[in-house]
Amino acid sequence: MKPEKIDLKKFASTLEEYKEQKWSLIPLLQKVQEEFGYIPPEAIEPIAKALHLFPSEVQGVITFYSQFSLKPRGKYVIRVCKGTACHVRGGRSILKIAKRELGVEEGETTDDYQYTLETVACLGACFLAPTMMVNKNYFGKLTPPKINSILKQYEK
Amino acid sequence: MAKLLSYNALKNFKEACAKEISARKYCIRICMTGCKAYGGEEVKEALEREIKARGLTKQVEVRETGCQGFCAKAPVLTIDPLGIFYQEITPADAADIVIRTIQKGDVLGHLLYEDLKTGIKMPTVNQIPFFSLQNRRVLKNCGIIDPKKINHYIGMGGYDALAKALNGITPELLIKEVKKSGLRGRGGAGFPTGTKWKFARSSPAGPKYIICNADEGDPGAFMDRAVLEGDPHRVIEGMIIGAYAIGARFGYIYVREEYPIAVEHLGIAIDQAMEMGILGENIFGSSFSFTLELKKGAGAFVCGEETALMASIEGKRGMPHTRPPFPAQAGLDGKPTNINNVETLANIPMIIREGAKWYSSVGTDKSKGTKVFSLAGKVNNTGLVEVPIGISIREVIFDIGGGIPKGRKFKAVQMGGPSGGCVTEKHLNLPIDYESLQTIGSIMGSGGMVVMDENNCMVEIARFFLDFTCSESCGKCVPCRLGTKQMLEILARITEGHGREGDIDMLLKIGEAVMQSALCGLGQTCPKPVLSTIKYFRDEYEAHIKERRCPGAVCESLVISACQHTCPVGTSVPKYVAAIAKEDYIEAAEIVRERNPFPAICGRICHHPCEIKCRRGELDEPVAIRSLKRFAADKYFETAQRPPPPFPKTKSRKVAIVGAGPTGLTCAFYLARMGYPVTVFEALPVGGGMLMVGVPEFRLPKAIVQKEIEYIEQRGVEIKYNTPVNINFTLEDIKKQGYDAIFVAGGAQKSQKIGIPGEDESLEGLYYGLSFLRDAKLEKEIYVGRVVVVVGGGNVAFDVARSALRLPWNGDGQREVHIVCLESREEIPAFEEEVEEAIDEGIFIHHSLGIKKVLSEEEKVTGIETLAVASVFDEEGRFHPTYIPDSEGFFPADTLIMSVGQAPDLSFLPPDSDLERTKWETLEVNPNNLATNIPGIFAGGDFVTGPTFIIESIAAGRRGAVAIDKYLQGDETPVLFVDEKEETPSETVEEELKDVEEEKLRVKMPTAPPEDRIHDFREIELGFTEEKACEEAKRCLRCDLEK
Repeated sequence: MKPEKIDLKKFASTLEEYKEQKWSLIPLLQKVQEEFGYIPPEAIEPIAKALHLFPSEVQGVITFYSQFSLKPRGKYVIRVCKGTACHVRGGRSILKIAKRELGVEEGETTDDYQYTLETVACLGACFLAPTMMVNKNYFGKLTPPKINSILKQYEK
Repeated sequence: MAKLLSYNALKNFKEACAKEISARKYCIRICMTGCKAYGGEEVKEALEREIKARGLTKQVEVRETGCQGFCAKAPVLTIDPLGIFYQEITPADAADIVIRTIQKGDVLGHLLYEDLKTGIKMPTVNQIPFFSLQNRRVLKNCGIIDPKKINHYIGMGGYDALAKALNGITPELLIKEVKKSGLRGRGGAGFPTGTKWKFARSSPAGPKYIICNADEGDPGAFMDRAVLEGDPHRVIEGMIIGAYAIGARFGYIYVREEYPIAVEHLGIAIDQAMEMGILGENIFGSSFSFTLELKKGAGAFVCGEETALMASIEGKRGMPHTRPPFPAQAGLDGKPTNINNVETLANIPMIIREGAKWYSSVGTDKSKGTKVFSLAGKVNNTGLVEVPIGISIREVIFDIGGGIPKGRKFKAVQMGGPSGGCVTEKHLNLPIDYESLQTIGSIMGSGGMVVMDENNCMVEIARFFLDFTCSESCGKCVPCRLGTKQMLEILARITEGHGREGDIDMLLKIGEAVMQSALCGLGQTCPKPVLSTIKYFRDEYEAHIKERRCPGAVCESLVISACQHTCPVGTSVPKYVAAIAKEDYIEAAEIVRERNPFPAICGRICHHPCEIKCRRGELDEPVAIRSLKRFAADKYFETAQRPPPPFPKTKSRKVAIVGAGPTGLTCAFYLARMGYPVTVFEALPVGGGMLMVGVPEFRLPKAIVQKEIEYIEQRGVEIKYNTPVNINFTLEDIKKQGYDAIFVAGGAQKSQKIGIPGEDESLEGLYYGLSFLRDAKLEKEIYVGRVVVVVGGGNVAFDVARSALRLPWNGDGQREVHIVCLESREEIPAFEEEVEEAIDEGIFIHHSLGIKKVLSEEEKVTGIETLAVASVFDEEGRFHPTYIPDSEGFFPADTLIMSVGQAPDLSFLPPDSDLERTKWETLEVNPNNLATNIPGIFAGGDFVTGPTFIIESIAAGRRGAVAIDKYLQGDETPVLFVDEKEETPSETVEEELKDVEEEKLRVKMPTAPPEDRIHDFREIELGFTEEKACEEAKRCLRCDLEK
């Protein structure tokens, strides 16, 4: 199901918390994303106002960093590692299977907002390549059957 | 926690902490960082439950540690004080660990490390080469202490260096000590840390900043992650010392958000240090104050560049700017700033505590200390490795890393990630330091080592890195933004089979331009993976561009299934294996014959490069492709009802083939299939060439060769036996008989002489490999004495030795066969299977031994004089044996068989023939269409290339057939073999793909036991039963059906 509209009260208090801090744009965006799962586009203007920036500057930072998303994401964010070690050990087929199983492309979210499929430059778990992460949990030495069983764990 | 207000307070507290660390009798240290990804947490919980249930909580501590290094075997644990190391533990093992190991002192065999070479189980840490060959300094605490406990760090001597520094070492002296230590930046650039600090110190007062660069973005590197997770206080201590040295009041650790455990542990560590007065105002009661903050990165590789990193801390887009000004002049907020990498800072405390002299006792002249490497990719012991700088790459990958898995060949190791280059086999002995690696176009980098084997494609790897740098390019400067894009496009089209002539040069040109003109270090180094792969693997690029072939069998657009792509003739392996699974053996044999007219022969003696590439091998073991081929072919001959009809002759132009060996017959077969009338001229009374006279009966029975030749004849190929081509019957004469094209496939039948003193062919008891094998196979009478010495290390030498062993011996004592070869066990060129079978049969192999002289008395061989080999190959990997002086020895022998190599014999061509020759006395031919300089005359196979593998000979024959057809049709386009995908209805795909993925080892080929088989020449391999063959065929993953 689609995430609800953002909780304006919570958002206002977050803004308040970061308003006076030095160099706080990125930490603030990280906080917003943590709270809402993404950065709602309508939050850009209030953020800019609070930090005395132009909305374009805020937008620019959001789109520069791969961590930030302007679209709602799924309950579980699956990040398949595209690092070198994973790559040489067949990481591409892992991504292929994840796509097939979830029925979405890279960067997309399933219609029920259960899963978002992303890729990441390197998870730093190269010793267990190929790897992926589901939210904050790592999974290593992946094989096609294993991906299925991992995804099953996260079924509703 | 009370604040530590003086050096003395720390000392006292340290004692208490040290006691705390070893308070309980046993400590089970379990990795709670990397191993978490492989079930470490569940194991820990099970252990805790078990210990509680047995009431042992007061005796046994379960400690959550950082990475212990041996990540390949995750999850791992170590039990102190026993020193026992267990690997690949599951929660089900917990009870045994507690009851049997801790309570009873038994070692659990199934959890032990097993040595890769010897198979010996090693119970303790210090026995395992992975650990014993390392020098863990930076990682000293990593995997030992609980990183979430500051007491553990202090108990191990932590913060002692800081307290010492604040208690009377001036910043100037500190910097001097760091300079003296020789420490250089571990982020990759290798700038001397002391000098960097001096610049920051001498910058006019600020506030100054110190930053720890923990944005470890290089794909394939995880050293910093391990240090941050496993020993965060060490980095913090290094930072505070650095801050004190340069006079910084504020510090930031910029850490990747993709490392949640590192972020968590650093956060805890900073809070603890603040609480104890180690961070904040008046540290250890001194006048020095320092505030440290954590900044999480937001996923941009370029932020690893220092100027971009500072922009990111300031909350801006992470884009670099030109230097000067350097950070030491105007960095964060325009103030003097010093940036160091995680590992650099982690080195600082020990330099201060133990002194520069101690520190610089390891390393090379120009690079001191140790370096942590993360070993990943195609290597057995993936993990974290710390070694003295200057150790060779070979030692890291093969001795510590345990070499390449599944017996595959090492191809290259990428060092320095997307900013580095690859190091190939011939540079494996190079010492790892900043300068040496630069000379070969690579870098030491931050420490990522990704190993690649023969199943990786270097063009694809270059594309991978460019894809990475292209998407990570910040876009500020044009060379990087556009250059990466252009290079990526070219690389992409090469890997997709649309490469063009000139693409390689264009890549070199763009690469050079980007290197010279990009704004920041990342842009300037991003072409390196492309340039270095072109430098060392240009042939792979050319194969993609010119032949649409991917030697690693990786590139998806070119490869349908890796086995088929790797097969030199392109046999549709999945299709015939599927036919076997459906019990349609005739069909299976015919599918093989589409590309290879010798299924029964190749089913016995092919070196099966397809199996090395088989994707099933990644899961468990490759499909037994060769043995399945044999099964199908044998079944065909067993069950085929009537002879196959001859191919209809639809073409009028005639073709002649010289030589009825595998190359000639293959060429004839495919030309006949295309409708040409073909005649083969063969000097001997039998066909098959080397197959019939060179491969011993126990590996390939004559009857099998005969059947396959008969099949070819039945399909309409005419073979004229006893018809040698020579001065009396020349190629010209053949032409005059009305043949429009001639294919010369004379093979390589001349045994090479070694050319040493005493090597006189007329000696009694001296034989040469090939003629010996021919005589043995044709069952001629050969006298072989009791002690036989075979000189050589190739497959022919082994065939010779094993044949000699089987020849009758009626004299006294037992027959002994010795192989004397230059190569060591690892270097030996013969196939592993053949070496092992020879050993099983009782043949003695003497490695690293050369022959200096043949000894004889009265025209009879009596032995050889030997020399010990120092090395077989030179630095560049070329064959260039050197010997140990004064190492002469004597080896007695009744029979001596020289088997050091074979060469084509061109003596049948008239010396005045116009055919162009190379300086190695072979024919000069166009490698694409095998055309000689005379129109209409083609040549191929061993005759042109020198001895090679049977399947290569067949491939040459097939290439010749296609080329001759093109020639006769007037088609001048090059010969191109492309894998073609057939449309398969999707329901078939679903049907075929079901239940193939569960783990199941391959069916072993049954063989006759050594003690039975050495008495005669009967075939050793017995073949699959129908049931076993079908079982094995079902293991195929059907890569060909994948979309």
